[in-house]
Amino acid sequence: MSAAEDQIMVDRVLAGDTSAFEGLVRRWQGPLINLAYRFCRDRGRAEELSQEAFLRAYRSLDRWRRESAFSTWLFALATNLYCSELMRIPINTIWLGDVAEPRDSRAINGGLEDQDRDRAVRRSVFTLPPKYREALILFYFHDMDVASAARSLGLPEGTVKARLSRGREMLRGKLSQQLAGPASSKKEIS
Amino acid sequence: MRDDDIDSILSKEQDIVPSSGFVRSVMEAVQHEATAPQIPFPWKRALPGLSAAVLALGWALVAGISLFKRGTGTEALPAEFLSFLAVISEAWKTVGANWITLALVVSLASVEFSRRFVSRKS
Repeated sequence: MSAAEDQIMVDRVLAGDTSAFEGLVRRWQGPLINLAYRFCRDRGRAEELSQEAFLRAYRSLDRWRRESAFSTWLFALATNLYCSELMRIPINTIWLGDVAEPRDSRAINGGLEDQDRDRAVRRSVFTLPPKYREALILFYFHDMDVASAARSLGLPEGTVKARLSRGREMLRGKLSQQLAGPASSKKEIS
Repeated sequence: MRDDDIDSILSKEQDIVPSSGFVRSVMEAVQHEATAPQIPFPWKRALPGLSAAVLALGWALVAGISLFKRGTGTEALPAEFLSFLAVISEAWKTVGANWITLALVVSLASVEFSRRFVSRKS
């Protein structure tokens, strides 16, 4: 399915054929749910949020100016909704102290196994202030494409680049404390 | 940890698959939205208030125009109101409120400018 087909379906919906909206839902359900999931880490809530995003898209379909692709408009709408909804009802705050302890103190990379380290990185993204967290989530969701992330956030590319850089810096700071902890204690023991 | 490590971890996110009833659930909500009757504006309830507001506005307009036609219009105002205005005006001059107002406006403008500048930078 292409962008032209999206446009055809939108035209059909605007002409009164509500069932044509199903094609758009089928096509974009995966990306929208996955984007929501990255924002809230809760499958049920991700589906609720994306359903609301589709409903809002349906209501404001006539406001889609065809200068950009339908997907660009849809992602911007969904991002806006996800950010404001999570501001209204935040996800359970995850602190770095809650991250699982390393299973084996002799494991590589400062005592955390790869899986635990990956989990620690993902969780620590959620401890960042919203503007940095949103930039990072969108950047990786769009396969590290700054332009797409900027369009979804409705911000200039320069701003997104600055937020990414600052967000990564903060993330490194948080992780270095987390990852260095077990290693330094190991050194002290030996 | 380097940027490359962060990139490789955060970009290898596993996708989740939408549940089987998701499309049906969305389409039910959409159909409901499409068939739900539009809630009309409650004109009956709003009419008394709107009429009163229009009448008050009309009266104020007529009163203003008639005052303007009579000249400066101050003679038509009650004496208590005029003396109150005089007290306010005297106090304004004594305190030097013009400069205070100017200082407040400049301060507010500089705060607003700084906030915008910082948010643009970040």
